[in-house]
Amino acid sequence: MKSVVTTVVAAADQGARFPSSSDLESVQGSLQRAAARMEAADKLAGNYDAVAQEAVDAIYSKYPNGQGRDMDAGTQKEKCKRDIVHYLRLINYSLVVGGTGPIDEWGVSGAREVYKALSIGTDTYVAGLSALRSRGCAPRDLSAQALVEYNGLLSYLINSMS
Amino acid sequence: MLDAFSRAVASADAGGKFVGGGDLDALKSFVAEGNKRLDAVNAIASNASCIVTDAVAGIVCESPGLTAPGGGVYTNRKMAACLRDGEIVLRYITYAVLTGDASVLNDRCLNGLKETYSALGVPVGNTTRAVAIMKACAVAHVNDTNTEAQAGSKFRTMGATKGDCAALTAEVAGYFDAVGAAIS
Repeated sequence: MKSVVTTVVAAADQGARFPSSSDLESVQGSLQRAAARMEAADKLAGNYDAVAQEAVDAIYSKYPNGQGRDMDAGTQKEKCKRDIVHYLRLINYSLVVGGTGPIDEWGVSGAREVYKALSIGTDTYVAGLSALRSRGCAPRDLSAQALVEYNGLLSYLINSMS
Repeated sequence: MLDAFSRAVASADAGGKFVGGGDLDALKSFVAEGNKRLDAVNAIASNASCIVTDAVAGIVCESPGLTAPGGGVYTNRKMAACLRDGEIVLRYITYAVLTGDASVLNDRCLNGLKETYSALGVPVGNTTRAVAIMKACAVAHVNDTNTEAQAGSKFRTMGATKGDCAALTAEVAGYFDAVGAAIS
């Protein structure tokens, strides 16, 4: 899976060369930012249920009837939360890896086709994820740099759905 | 290809779990010890040619039959192929050390190597011995424990700050052992 380290190694392998000092420098650069990413990943792993619930509440205050195929309101809300948790998990993975690889491979790719087939507008997800992006607050929830990393991935996901 | 981080993600995803708690602690120490790892990669890569030549010269000294007609490195062509392979193996080991995961070594280097060597008639015993010499040499460079008595005129120390590198050394040695196990 794509991360800074695997990209560097793949490039070195392509040229059949040992890792050079510039390769090591770019890995070092990614390790320096890693502490903030790990913090965000840790907090998200511990609180994802509450975070997802906030997103679901934001979605249903904007779209009281929800979206999608006919089903009872309770089931629909449950499935909505399941999806948000799924996206939060991918954000957690991307924070760990230090790149958007997991979001790209397991979230974005094919999403448009799936949601079209199920007649769900992505604007509901955008509403929920945007609420999370404005809700996060440093240093109350997590440190400033960790919040930057977390919001960056939320924005990436929102852009991919807009 | 996976690294230590994507390995954690891949196993968490298999169970639909978030990466947190103990898994994250392991990665945090990977990050905290990152500079040691980079120094280790640099120590091996900077001395690669020396490590490889030493290993091949070593097996030739120990088994003189190798350079005799019919031997494993008889003719310059075979000797050159042997040196090249030593360098390739060592290169993939540096990749594994850098990523903190054996997948690049396994997928791109060791997969099918045993079959290739047996088809080419490469002697297994000498090959594993060469890998063992590379291991001793690389570990000595990583820890800066090589001595003038061992290295003679080629003696060189990296001079990195000393510290506890036991875990990293064991990891590096493990990759060499994996190569030995894969070809025997």
